[in-house]
Amino acid sequence: MKRRAGLLAGLLTIPLALAACSSGAASDGTSASGDSSAASGATTLKLWHYEGDTSAMGIAWTEAIKVFETEHPGVTVEFEQKAFEQIQQTAGMVLSSDQGPDIMEYNKGNATAGLLASQGLLTDLTAVATERGWDAKLSSSLQTTARYDDKGIMGSGSWYGVPNYGEFVTVYYNKDLFAKNGIEVPTTLAEMETAMDTFVAAGVTPLAMSGAEYPAGQLYYELALSKADRDFVNAYQTFTAPVDFAKDPLKSGAETFDQWIQKGYVSTDSASLKAEDMGLGFIAGTYPMMVSGSWWYGRMVSDITGFDWGVFNFPGNKLNAGSSGNLWVVPENSKAKDLAYDFIDITMRPEIQALLGNNGGLPIAANAADITDPKSKELISAFNEVLDNDGLAFYPDWPVPGYYDVLVAGFQKLINQSASPQAVLDEIGTAYQDGAANAG
Amino acid sequence: MTTLSADRVRKRARSRASYWLYLIPGGLLFAVVIAAPFGMNLYYSLTKWPGLGSPRWVGLDNYVRLMGDDTFWMSFRNSLAMIVAMVVVPTLLGLLLAAVLFDYLGKRFPSRVASVLRATYYLPQILPVAVAGILWGWILNPQTGALNVLLRRVGLDSLALNWLGSTSTALPTVMMVMIWVQIGYPVVIFMAALSRVDPELYEAAELDGAGWFRRFRAITIPQIKPETFVVTLTCTIAALKVFGPIYVLTKGGPENSTNVPSYFSYQSYFPKSQVGYGAAISTVLTVIVVIVSIVFMRVQAVSERKEGS
Amino acid sequence: MAADLTDVVPTTGAVSTRPPDSSVRRAQRGGASALHRGPGRWIVLTLVVLVAVTMMVPFAIMLLNAFKSPAEYSQNGPLSLPTHLYTDGLVNFWNRVQYPGKLANSIMISGAVAILATLVSLLNAYALGIGRVRGRLSIVTLFLLANMLPQEALIYPLYWLAKQTHLYNTQLVVIIIFTAIQSAFGTYLLSSVFSTFPPSVLEAASLDGANRWQVLWRVVFPISRPTLAVLVIFFFIWTWNEFFIPLVMLIDNATQTIPVALASLQGDRLMDAPTINAGSLISLLPAVIFFLIFQRTLTRGITAGAVK
Repeated sequence: MKRRAGLLAGLLTIPLALAACSSGAASDGTSASGDSSAASGATTLKLWHYEGDTSAMGIAWTEAIKVFETEHPGVTVEFEQKAFEQIQQTAGMVLSSDQGPDIMEYNKGNATAGLLASQGLLTDLTAVATERGWDAKLSSSLQTTARYDDKGIMGSGSWYGVPNYGEFVTVYYNKDLFAKNGIEVPTTLAEMETAMDTFVAAGVTPLAMSGAEYPAGQLYYELALSKADRDFVNAYQTFTAPVDFAKDPLKSGAETFDQWIQKGYVSTDSASLKAEDMGLGFIAGTYPMMVSGSWWYGRMVSDITGFDWGVFNFPGNKLNAGSSGNLWVVPENSKAKDLAYDFIDITMRPEIQALLGNNGGLPIAANAADITDPKSKELISAFNEVLDNDGLAFYPDWPVPGYYDVLVAGFQKLINQSASPQAVLDEIGTAYQDGAANAG
Repeated sequence: MTTLSADRVRKRARSRASYWLYLIPGGLLFAVVIAAPFGMNLYYSLTKWPGLGSPRWVGLDNYVRLMGDDTFWMSFRNSLAMIVAMVVVPTLLGLLLAAVLFDYLGKRFPSRVASVLRATYYLPQILPVAVAGILWGWILNPQTGALNVLLRRVGLDSLALNWLGSTSTALPTVMMVMIWVQIGYPVVIFMAALSRVDPELYEAAELDGAGWFRRFRAITIPQIKPETFVVTLTCTIAALKVFGPIYVLTKGGPENSTNVPSYFSYQSYFPKSQVGYGAAISTVLTVIVVIVSIVFMRVQAVSERKEGS
Repeated sequence: MAADLTDVVPTTGAVSTRPPDSSVRRAQRGGASALHRGPGRWIVLTLVVLVAVTMMVPFAIMLLNAFKSPAEYSQNGPLSLPTHLYTDGLVNFWNRVQYPGKLANSIMISGAVAILATLVSLLNAYALGIGRVRGRLSIVTLFLLANMLPQEALIYPLYWLAKQTHLYNTQLVVIIIFTAIQSAFGTYLLSSVFSTFPPSVLEAASLDGANRWQVLWRVVFPISRPTLAVLVIFFFIWTWNEFFIPLVMLIDNATQTIPVALASLQGDRLMDAPTINAGSLISLLPAVIFFLIFQRTLTRGITAGAVK
């Protein structure tokens, strides 16, 4: 009955819809959230994330939920594992309603957390972060993705999310194939090219690649970063200065990418391959190297059985694609903010962080001594090398919403050799400038 | 006499009017779920709006931008290819398969044979499109895919192409997959239609010595014209707004060579958070679909009338 | 249009003008069929079976990977034969997405839509096809707009309406939306069929004193039952596979459908292919079973009701 009345009411308000559309969302957001630590008296904590239950994050957070429930008798955690796609496409709608969670995992970046923050859908965590010492635990390049200004651009302003882990792009390599061809781990880009020449001469395509998804864009970005500094990263990612696509480092990034295709370092039929195909190619031992993210690590540990493998950071790069992991955010409509903060606090504890680290994840607040798994140690030390340089340079598709598809299309052209690097730079540059003009 | 007929006219008018009552549930539903949202979407298309907060009025800006957008025009060119793959080929092939199953095999083998085959052809329609995308990705993988492995094994290396990866083959490949997805729908409908046709017609023709193909042309095709219209129109609409298969197979790539209007508008709605622009694309798409459908239905009405008289 | 058919039937082109005596025909039918039981039929059968087999290849690959361990999948790729039968994928999927609950949701939503949309189609078509209300062609076209609008164009407004009516995150809203969308097709199909309904039958009924409502249920409904059954089948299967609107409207795991649950296996950058295959397999089964059960109805004909 009530529903029917609601439906009727809805019908009557249709004409108003055009004028009033979604103003509700914005006005909700302005309500003060300062008295955050006041007890809500809530007896449930509705918690959503979208990590697989066997992933490092999944394992660590399951444990964190257990700890939380022991420490909060009388409070039940209503945990739901969500589809990534669902959160990705509908987070704004979910959080504008009163049906959303009290705390959830969300993607970092301007187009995601930034957009929601600027619309007042996320709780400002600045005060809590200081009070609970989260700000002291995170290095500055990890903090970049936690803070957004009033236009939703990352890097400055208030805290709207707290990352638990890091991720970065590195080089996975097949030690057996390296040994068989008498190749040492390269330490400079030149050595890397020499190594790849050796492989090509031996009839082996050195790099696993996927042109239909993120890997091609990330390789281009790594190549560009080899000639870049922090000022470039700030300009490119947060629009602090204009970026010229016809000049280095982006120019050399695209040109080197193009040369690598021509020299046969990358298979020319990889334009349609998905990241999964690339990963399978490396796991099967077909390719000696794969330039990709730390998110593969757990999979490699469990699935590679036929050969010995390891990682080394992209040779010669001080800057690498990478960032904090996804964020814990507390929706403005959360009914249990205090409990949400408690939960975030638990995920930052050394024992939870160690669990994350020992399962192939990259903890950001773990004690080094707690990481006992040797394979995990290798990855974490590679990551620390990047952090020591303050070297996280984020991802090439971040600055502009929808830039991902532009990059994919652009580098498919280079892989297929159907356009020159200049033409591709021109194309991705135009899309970037258009997007930058629209930002904020 | 006159009063009687006047009375009848009045009665008929009243009874006609009472038929309108039956449109109320459907009409209400339509107003809420389709008409109102369409109106709102039209309004969004005149604004700049990231999907949250208040839309900002920009007038016809989105449409002006659309006219100069190459990807938009390219996506409509690909729509024509989709019509070939989702309407023309499946309808023709479906007609042939349905006729063979029903009229040829159905009479020469136990009826179970035709049912099993029909179910097989229909199976791709039941498969969730996301899963179909993954499976076809494995088959068409240029290096390890089943298709190329097979081609290389039989020595046809030159035919082992980069199916979804090269701009020259991606669209035809997607078209092949769409035929695979689509074929079951006309087969099922046409077989149902054929079972409606009076068998005496065929028998009479057979007696006259008409061969199978002649009977197919002279009886089958004209007899199932209504279903042919239904199939062609619904498939044309589906082809113009196809989204899922493109999303899972190629994401419009490589280099936008398989982009279609629906996926293009999706890119604006979601990844780019440009709801206003997305709304403009989908409005133009809707207008085109509506025009095509109206033309179609007029043709159908004329053809019905011709046969009816 | 089917009535046009009944009109056309006796005069169709190439057919003989002398209606043969039925007993003669029956005698000759046996002979004619016997003639066709030659080797030709095997060639045709082989051809259509070949087409069917080709079409089944993707399903075979799905089956292959549904029973393969993740390690084996990673090592040997998606096309290798599994060395042993691995059923943990099925079990994992079953537990991880709480399959029975999702199955119940999917059946509930698809079933409700199938029945409601068929009912709405029947009412609409009754007015349009039999009642022949004025401007019926325009009205049918208008209704068809529901099929023509791309779903992404509807999603923001529908979300807003659902929130206003407090139906957001309820299965009812999904049922309402799909009832509207699916019934557009049903209205189009049924009203075409009904427009051919023999007027004599209707007149006879109304002479018996039946009113409109009674005519609908006592005359039109029984005759058009096979066509309605076909609509139920199509609506059920179409709704079963809908992904986008449930994804947006049903945000709680407790209300979600199977395709949304399947999507949770595909992460941001990684996917769990063996589990996806296992999951797809058991997600596909209910729809296949449904199709097979009602297959007989399809044989009876989509427009069967209209003729005679």
